[in-house]
Amino acid sequence: MAALDDAGANLLPPELADDTDDRHYVPAPCQIACPVGTDAPSYIGYIWEGKFEAAFEAITATNPFSSICGRVCDAPCEPACRRTASDGPLQIRNLKRFVMDKLGAAWKPEPAPVTREQSVGVVGAGPAGLVAAHDLAVAGFKVDVYEMTDRPGGMMIWGIPAFRLPPGVIDEDLDRLAARCPGLAIHTNMGLGRDIALEELKERHDAVCLTIGSWWGKKMGVPGEDDPRVIDGVEFLRRVNDGDRPQMPKAVVVIGGGDVAMDACRVALRLPGCEHVKVVYRRGPDEIPARGIELEGAVEEGIEFVYNTQQVEIVADGDDGLTLRCVRTVPGDPDDDGRRRPVPVAGSGHDIACGMVIAAVGQFGACEDAATGALMGADRVDTEWETMRTADPKVFAAGDGAFGGSTIVMAMGHGQRLAYYVKAFLEGNDNPLPYRTPWRTRRVPVAQDLDWETLGVHHPPFHGVGDNPVAFPEIESTYTWEAARNEAARCYRCDAETGSADYSVRNREDIFLMARTARADAARQAGMLAKRLRPRENPFPAERPATVDDLVFLPANLSRLVIDPYREACKVATDLGSGRMEIAQPLFVAGFDNAPVDVRAGVAKGVEGGAAGYIGVRPIGGGAPWVQLVLPGQIAPDAGAAGLVHAVGPRFQAPAALGRLRDDQLLGLAVSHAGALEEAIVFGLENGLDVLLLNGNAAVGRDWPELDGAPDLSLMRDAIRILRRLNREEEIDLLWFGGLRSGTDAAKLIAMGAKSVVFGMTVALAAGGEIVGDRAVVFAPDRGEDERARAVANILKSASGEASMMARCTGKTNLHNLEPEDLRALTLATAEATGVTLAGKH
Amino acid sequence: MVTIDLSGLEIRRANERIREAAAAGESVEVLNPDARHHIGVGVIHPVDIHVRGSAGYFCAGLTDTPRFHVESNVGWGLADNMYRGSVVVGGNAGAIAGVAIRGAEVVIKGNMGSRAGQVMKKGTLLCCGNANFMAGYMMYGGRMVILGQSGERLGEDMTGGEIFLGGELRSLGSDAELVDTESAEIDEVLAFLDRYEIPFKGAFRKVVNAGKKLRYGAAERQVRSIPYFGFSGDSDYWNRKIQEDVYIKSQIGRYRVRGYGGARELPHLSDLAFRKDIAMAAVGDDPVGDVEMRTKIGGKNGANPLDLTMPVLIAPMSYGALSRSAKQAVAIASGMAGIAENTGEGGMSDAQRDAAGQLIFQMLGGRLGWNIHDMNRADGLEIYISQGAKPGFGGQLMAKKVTKELAEIRGIPAGIDLRSPSRHPDILGADDLVIKVEELREATGYRLPVSVKLGAGRIHDDIKIAVKDGFDFVELDGMQGSTGAGGAEVMEYVGIPTISAICEAETALASIGRRDDIEIVLMGGLRDGVDAVKGLCLGADAIALGTAAIIAGGCIACMQCHVGQCVTGIATQDPEHEARYKSKVEARHIYTFLESVRWQIAAIVKALGYADVRQLRRDDLVALTPEAAEIAGLPYEPGLRDAGPFRAAG
Repeated sequence: MAALDDAGANLLPPELADDTDDRHYVPAPCQIACPVGTDAPSYIGYIWEGKFEAAFEAITATNPFSSICGRVCDAPCEPACRRTASDGPLQIRNLKRFVMDKLGAAWKPEPAPVTREQSVGVVGAGPAGLVAAHDLAVAGFKVDVYEMTDRPGGMMIWGIPAFRLPPGVIDEDLDRLAARCPGLAIHTNMGLGRDIALEELKERHDAVCLTIGSWWGKKMGVPGEDDPRVIDGVEFLRRVNDGDRPQMPKAVVVIGGGDVAMDACRVALRLPGCEHVKVVYRRGPDEIPARGIELEGAVEEGIEFVYNTQQVEIVADGDDGLTLRCVRTVPGDPDDDGRRRPVPVAGSGHDIACGMVIAAVGQFGACEDAATGALMGADRVDTEWETMRTADPKVFAAGDGAFGGSTIVMAMGHGQRLAYYVKAFLEGNDNPLPYRTPWRTRRVPVAQDLDWETLGVHHPPFHGVGDNPVAFPEIESTYTWEAARNEAARCYRCDAETGSADYSVRNREDIFLMARTARADAARQAGMLAKRLRPRENPFPAERPATVDDLVFLPANLSRLVIDPYREACKVATDLGSGRMEIAQPLFVAGFDNAPVDVRAGVAKGVEGGAAGYIGVRPIGGGAPWVQLVLPGQIAPDAGAAGLVHAVGPRFQAPAALGRLRDDQLLGLAVSHAGALEEAIVFGLENGLDVLLLNGNAAVGRDWPELDGAPDLSLMRDAIRILRRLNREEEIDLLWFGGLRSGTDAAKLIAMGAKSVVFGMTVALAAGGEIVGDRAVVFAPDRGEDERARAVANILKSASGEASMMARCTGKTNLHNLEPEDLRALTLATAEATGVTLAGKH
Repeated sequence: MVTIDLSGLEIRRANERIREAAAAGESVEVLNPDARHHIGVGVIHPVDIHVRGSAGYFCAGLTDTPRFHVESNVGWGLADNMYRGSVVVGGNAGAIAGVAIRGAEVVIKGNMGSRAGQVMKKGTLLCCGNANFMAGYMMYGGRMVILGQSGERLGEDMTGGEIFLGGELRSLGSDAELVDTESAEIDEVLAFLDRYEIPFKGAFRKVVNAGKKLRYGAAERQVRSIPYFGFSGDSDYWNRKIQEDVYIKSQIGRYRVRGYGGARELPHLSDLAFRKDIAMAAVGDDPVGDVEMRTKIGGKNGANPLDLTMPVLIAPMSYGALSRSAKQAVAIASGMAGIAENTGEGGMSDAQRDAAGQLIFQMLGGRLGWNIHDMNRADGLEIYISQGAKPGFGGQLMAKKVTKELAEIRGIPAGIDLRSPSRHPDILGADDLVIKVEELREATGYRLPVSVKLGAGRIHDDIKIAVKDGFDFVELDGMQGSTGAGGAEVMEYVGIPTISAICEAETALASIGRRDDIEIVLMGGLRDGVDAVKGLCLGADAIALGTAAIIAGGCIACMQCHVGQCVTGIATQDPEHEARYKSKVEARHIYTFLESVRWQIAAIVKALGYADVRQLRRDDLVALTPEAAEIAGLPYEPGLRDAGPFRAAG
């Protein structure tokens, strides 16, 4: 679906799957924070449900490197998680890893064939390049990726040590990529400018993407850094990731506070000879850019952090080692990026002795190719963010090599954006709709976990450097299923409806935004107001039928005294047929004539326990009074029945053999059709009948007719109107069957004029019935008779309790004192069908 | 000793003089009391007050520490809500003697009327003669001593406390039982009698709560609400939510309880639109500076009105339903925004009082946390008759939330599943209510606006009673209001929608020509400045926001308030969970939300061509649904729904 975003303007083309036009969905903060728009709430929900394949689909739908991300994504979703402010964020990355470890290796994706003539050349097989290649290949283009090293992956393999990302994990993703994209070829050992030229690629391909990365470490710019014992962090990691395990000096200092610094210091610690590693960082612990979990891991492994300290010079102490000359810093004025600039403190000079300095103070991109060089600025390809274009109309760029150092997942997001604009270009669309990350939801129900509010953050076991550090064993385990499920249960589900009508997910998000937008920000205020002014969908469209749901009770307040619904008595005892039948509460059960024997036995006991009566073609047994439903030409009236109700067809015909078989037998008619109503009433009154059973769900000859939907309430309205017109309202008792699901529903029908009501489907559900297929009910076999009996008695008790609660709210001490005037209708359709006044009218 | 002769003095002046004298430490003698109501209400100093004759309703009510001596008889509501101090009545007392006392000693030498000691919390109520029916009705604590006959249904629905009966037991009340006495407690009773020089030789029997009612074997299985949007359309009549509901009730055999607001969509202010385009170009950058929004509420009858910087209040929400931290955040935000906050049921905390600029004190039938000192430090009083979410019910607080501290502030036993009474002991009709309102005004020197909170029901009648009973304003709460816990069926199916409530109220007041005699604060499901302006257009003088403010302050609307372990620390009393809530941070969010509401109100008012919120009129609206058109008597213009998302905004 084409989507309308919050501002009401940002449409996406239809091929980008996006669900933001679903009014019951708002992308959660975690999903918005994810550069590739991962539907985290859905996969978290699926994990809780144990639906791992569905979770896998949600994870991988927008992320070809899900196995890698499950290990090493910097997970911007987690700080965005709203539970962070409460008791800690959902461990979204670990949950992803759990699923990927379960299914990632074995999964065989559907291949996406080449369907187009055009081809694209991609330079650099890092996360940006490979994601762009993937998206373009899936779109049907032939894609060739040129990689200067001997393997694909870019910083995902060269920048991240094996103790965080074992090689097998990388292979999982690459294998899946290969299987998914038969039209994607990766050419290794093909350096741009070394092995191939840009001009050549432009000839070979219809478009070229430069995703060359930011591969080279920046200099610190201090005297002495040319000493061979001063090395650059990315180069150091590359060597080690290529298999090198160099002998280290005892003491190593790493300079910098980013992810490269974190990996470098932890690698150094694991290498032979190294006993102590210090990280020197010029700002404080609150400003360090390294991801929390990396930092904590490093600290836990014994690495020392020296904050607010800046290197000024490196002095060689002959062969013995190095002296790092430093000053202390204090935070000064904010920089361009908003962070406070570290200011050296006069007279704070001090030395740190070590055997090696690893500089991890930033990277830059470079390329030996002349034509590419012409497209580059100081250290990256000049690229326009709005189009991903370079100065060359056929050449696009993305990733760190275009926009500076970032993270794997951000580079992947660039790759998606790049693919979008390249595709538009190749399709001849010069003016595509502006790209934004599409957001999907899989509409997974909220986890039904009773402990979700109290379960705390669960971290998987952390192993640190392990027994044999130089082998780089993995630092952390995968969740167990139980741990994953507990963690998944914690999700707030910011994306989903919680069941509140007025505080729907959209309304909540709007309020949330209103609470975070300054009044002075007139532009955003205007945008929010515009959004809030949009009307909701009409919840009562013309096709919505009249329903008992759209009736409400008027509570007593000042004009009447409320009867305390918790404590004070309200009579529910019911007398039918002027004393012929007395039951403790105005409830009957019907519909079990053809139910399995054991179900009938349980229901019979339950009806008795619930102090109700039973209406059926044949007796159900047990001690509850049985009212026989007499069908023309079928089972003859039974003298043992407490009552006889003769069914009347769509056109009224007086039943044959009408009469009581004993004096105290209740006698009546069952009417299902408006057409027969008037004659049946007149006949009933003339013949002194006791009851008229009105059937609002008139399905002929079928079990569970209530499954047809809302009952026809107008039958009750018309019956009362006819009786009033005849001025004989008190002379015959009305029973109602159809669509009653609670004591509240029962009270509504009683208020409308019923003396007693009949439950069918509700009791079936209580007795273990499940609705299957098209209007059939199947009873779970695993319930015992007593269990069914208890459930039936309970549902009848709760119905009676709820009905009397409604009566007490309206100020009645007898359920039978409810009257139509105690009701109001919420919709015109229901007002019409019931004759009840619309709420708000008097 | 100051002598006050009531034969020629209004009770209002007399009470002023009694309080002045008491403040000066002087004892008071009241001559010719002539059974006048409210004698000595509001006294908060430990002086002797001698009433030479009989007193009417609420004698010694809403007091702390004075010692009253009434020579003859008293009317109903003796010592209503008296904290410390004592009352000795020489003759008989009417109904509900010692109602809601919280430590006072009340001695009636003669007989006492029905429902004596109703909802009392602490202290001793002694009746030397016979009691009428239902003595100790719904009492929460304290000690009642009856030397004569008990009357029918002694201890009816009592929750706590003890009743010592010296005479005949006519009958025990529901959920009350006789238990053995201990000699130490009998000695204490006898010592009390000695202190008041009352001879008694007989034996005592003791009546306490039996603990059988309102306690359930099977706990309700807690589930996270299933959102269901079609709800009751034709095809899904037996939907998953219904099935779940039937299943759970088939396990517990009773109604379900849940928190938060309604699950069903109802006619709402959202079904109205503005007749004119709300053109952003006309709004400008700072509409707030161009629109007069200051609103005074509650000054109709001479009290000091609430003075609000915009026609918005915070809806009543209790400390109890919400954590102390959450209440504090709301209070801080309301103070920063210059609007009024409301205590809800259950008392006022110092932190809340200090943080809120203007604070309304809510008073319920259970008299939880209700006392003269907090009334005196409030800026407005509110009598709760019912609330939109669960009209017909008092507050409900599940045991998990009734902590020791909370029980202390409310004056109830800790750890009970609290189901507050549905009615006030002393408001059984419109006439009682007039006298009750008068008592509140007497006790607080007519300084404070007195309002009534009505859950929307028979508004056509109820609002007329409210205006005739002289309330300064009414808080009209539609069924879209939320609550911390309530019967699920009641939340969905009792009451009328907020839009219906305001329309019916306007019609009713117009029909008796009294619209200008009372102010209306509308609440229940209002969420933003748009809803606010629509409410004002329909006639409300101000609106109140409850749930929306809570959501602004971090609520995730999980609808599990009743469980008591709120994940965000808002609707919980669990210290670990509450610690998750950062009051100051969330106060800032709530304040920012209120300021956005202010911006929206101003922007719409300005775009409609007005300079003052009071210029808003019903004619500024049209209806987008046939129901809204019918309810509000507005033209039905469905075409405006499709006229673009924000008509002329872009």
